[in-house]
Amino acid sequence: MKKLHIVGIVIIAVAIGVIFVSLKNTSTYADFTEAISNPEKEYHVVGKLDKTQPQIYDPKLNADQFMFTLIDNKGVSKQVVLHKSKPQDFEKSEQIVLIGKIQGNEFHANDILMKCPSKYNDGKPQID
Amino acid sequence: MNEIQYIAERLWAGHLGNAFVVLSFVSSLLAFISYYLSANNASFQKLARLAFNVHGLSVIGIIATLFYMLLNHYFEYQYVWQHSNSTMDMKYILSCFWEGQEGSFLLWTFWNVVLGMILKRQLKNGDWEIPVMTVFSLVQVFLASMLLGVYFFDYKIGTNPFLLLRDHAEFSNLPFLQKEGFVPIKLDGRGLNPLLMNYWMTIHPPTLFLGFASTLVPFAFAIGALWNKKYNDWQKIALPWTYFCIMILGIGILMGGAWAYEALSFGGFWAWDPVENSSLVPWLVIVAAGHTMIINKNKGGSLFTTHFLAIGSFLLVLYSTFLTRSGVLGNASVHAFTDLGMTGQLVLYVLTFIFITVALLINDKLFKVSYIVVSLLLLFFGMLYGYKKVLLMVWLGSSGIITFISYYLYFPKEKDEEELFSREFWMFLGSLVFLLSGLIITYFTSIPVINKLFNTEFAPPKVHVYNTWMMPFAILIMLLIAASQFLKYKKTNPKKFLKRVSYSFILALLFGLACSIPLYFMTSPENKGIDNWDLISYSILFITGLFAVFANLDYFIIVLKGKVSKSGAAIAHIGFAMVLIGALISTSKKVTLAKNTEDKKLTSLGKDFDDRESILLTQGDTLPMGPYLVTYKGKKRIGINIYFTVDYFKLNKDNKPEYDFSLEPHIQENPKTGQQSAEPDTKHYLDRDIYTHITAADLNIDTTTKKKDAFTSAKNYVGHVGDTIFSSNALVIIDSLRSNLSREQYEKNDSVLEVTAVLRCVNTQGKNFFAHPKFIIQNNVVIPKEDVLEDLGLKFVFWKINPDDGTVEITMSEKLANNKDFIVMKAFVFPFINVLWLGCLIMAFGTGIAIVERIRKFKVQL
Repeated sequence: MKKLHIVGIVIIAVAIGVIFVSLKNTSTYADFTEAISNPEKEYHVVGKLDKTQPQIYDPKLNADQFMFTLIDNKGVSKQVVLHKSKPQDFEKSEQIVLIGKIQGNEFHANDILMKCPSKYNDGKPQID
Repeated sequence: MNEIQYIAERLWAGHLGNAFVVLSFVSSLLAFISYYLSANNASFQKLARLAFNVHGLSVIGIIATLFYMLLNHYFEYQYVWQHSNSTMDMKYILSCFWEGQEGSFLLWTFWNVVLGMILKRQLKNGDWEIPVMTVFSLVQVFLASMLLGVYFFDYKIGTNPFLLLRDHAEFSNLPFLQKEGFVPIKLDGRGLNPLLMNYWMTIHPPTLFLGFASTLVPFAFAIGALWNKKYNDWQKIALPWTYFCIMILGIGILMGGAWAYEALSFGGFWAWDPVENSSLVPWLVIVAAGHTMIINKNKGGSLFTTHFLAIGSFLLVLYSTFLTRSGVLGNASVHAFTDLGMTGQLVLYVLTFIFITVALLINDKLFKVSYIVVSLLLLFFGMLYGYKKVLLMVWLGSSGIITFISYYLYFPKEKDEEELFSREFWMFLGSLVFLLSGLIITYFTSIPVINKLFNTEFAPPKVHVYNTWMMPFAILIMLLIAASQFLKYKKTNPKKFLKRVSYSFILALLFGLACSIPLYFMTSPENKGIDNWDLISYSILFITGLFAVFANLDYFIIVLKGKVSKSGAAIAHIGFAMVLIGALISTSKKVTLAKNTEDKKLTSLGKDFDDRESILLTQGDTLPMGPYLVTYKGKKRIGINIYFTVDYFKLNKDNKPEYDFSLEPHIQENPKTGQQSAEPDTKHYLDRDIYTHITAADLNIDTTTKKKDAFTSAKNYVGHVGDTIFSSNALVIIDSLRSNLSREQYEKNDSVLEVTAVLRCVNTQGKNFFAHPKFIIQNNVVIPKEDVLEDLGLKFVFWKINPDDGTVEITMSEKLANNKDFIVMKAFVFPFINVLWLGCLIMAFGTGIAIVERIRKFKVQL
């Protein structure tokens, strides 16, 4: 089964290759401080919405731009420019994950994931 | 303390349900033990069969009870309360049933029972009844335990669907639940997640779970084979079952894609979400297993791989259960189940079956016993002293090594090498390609698990990472599908073979180049993130996909002479190639219709930051969008849905817009949770779909038309002729003033003076409207006469002339309706997506034929 041995070696090589290449290029979870120190790299920043700061969404100006302030898990807050329209249920989000990078004084995100408490297990029994 | 008296609680239902839960667990355990013992003592066999029947009946009992409770709104029970309410449409009652983990475990258990019953009949008194049913019963022991909801020391075993709301840990402290005389009839449930109120959700879960359940059949045979050391006998019995699994699981996965495409607004049918991946990977592995089983049946050999794949597919189903239900995915997935505190149990479940597999592989008594003892020691050590992660990795690593040692030491192996020009060699290679692609997807999907194990912070990969990695595998598979049909088992004449495949290859190459060059190289790509390498790989996949279709068509028509009953494989392969071609074209040529016209764009941020995917539509305005003109007409609320009507016009020959169709994407609001979800609406054509969804909108609906007709408070403007006033929708220019009398005439007579202001209003489209408010003086009293422009919703009152500086004073008020409603929308064209759905049907049809044919052949052999 010599041919199959060669195939096996190729498969193992590909598998190892995938692990190395993907770990090298993959984005990591981080806070703003880390994202600032490396503005070229894309990061996933986890945090909470700062409700005291204004949220700017003017679809007449640009329907795909939404600005708000996020406080990361270390407590650092930063102006965020999300390059998408304002998500539904945004205010209700409990936790936000932003995918993007720092440019200038702002964090530019191309994607957002929200964890809403309401999504699956909110709401308590009530009696009419 | 006196016990609280509860009124009208229907406790009997919970008692009945729990009795069935306990009975199903005990009977499955009894079935497992007695089947196991009957391997050496046939007298246990009767008891085993009886126990399995009792188990089956009690599972049906659990389902019937829970279903009855849902149907009759027994909201005093937590599961009923959480997943349904009294106002919902009863056609979604099935979705309520399997929305929660407990219900979906029940669904899985149910299918296992059905499959087990059929197998039990099929294998009755044969060699395989005892080993296969032992494995089935053991799996059922684990699944039944998932519903127990009891505590074993500190470990919670299962979650019980028959728990009363007042006994639930989260809600038991609510005062009214503990109050004397609490009447559950007054309670209403929280209701079903609106996303699941879709007909796909009624058929997708049962299909998918039937697919998951049927991976148990080849697994049970493979484990039985390891147990009895009969490696060669089971493939022909298990082959139709494996095909069945390929068909059902494949349909189930694509149904999930169809649901996502129709009801979710992530803009496509596949997003490489962990939940999707973890159903795809077992399918890839079971397809691989199905192919090595054919090799084994036709030519012998491939034994270890067949066992490895058949077992691996089921283990991956278990692993995916762990991934999606333990909460380990956390932020990585949009639609995983929430953590019910069963992580430990799920891990144990996966590990137990790995352990059983490895233990059975070891063919040496001392070796086997020491493996078992060491494993158990590690388990107890981990539970008592911690270091669970390290121990787990050590155990998994050594189990892997032992697997391969056992293969070399104990497993029957092939003597002679496969021919290069033989069907089995390339088919085997194809199986390995499937396995490897499955492993890579598993690795990417498991990044949250890797983070937990190694304390790293890697983020889950994005969609394009998956697409890039899977591309070469897809191309390889297409080539293998095309070529291997024309290879014979054992040995093929290379010249004949090459001649035969060259026809379809040349045809695919010509046709493929003719299509893909204009498709990919003559139009500028929609997505700026795509480079030339991507385009080349798309073209290659397109050509090889066509090659696969043509070669199999050729084989079907010329070699098999169009005989459908023999052509299951050829037809299924055509279907699979079409699925990939459809996915390729509809994704790579996806066109964003709704483009933001705003040019302020941060190009320096790179390709990922293309923020021009959405369009703002103001009510009543017409905007160009791709080849269409679109108008947002208005919104209406039906139940919990708010529909936004958007009309599409096309320019006809005379360049005049002509109504084409309307789409009504909507937003669903769950009144219980306040959750909002945007659901798309799609216009289907034979060759393309126009897919739209709302990304932002005001959900308030003014039902009082009166209010819309009301005017805002008037604003006063002072100006000369020629000055401009701005309204929200027009420029208002004071064009001229006309008087009926000259100044002299007015001063002489005591007649009426009437001055008309001519106001030219230019709307946003440049159209002129004229308003003529009048300033009238009669008997020295000023009586202004207002003018209303209905078209623009503007009201003007000309009430003062200042003779000193020649200015006039006009007040303007606007209709409230002028603050027009707007929506932000996305619209895409998915070209040729029907090729994908058609491919799915053809694949299912081909696999179905193969199943029938295998069963027929199997019966002939008997």
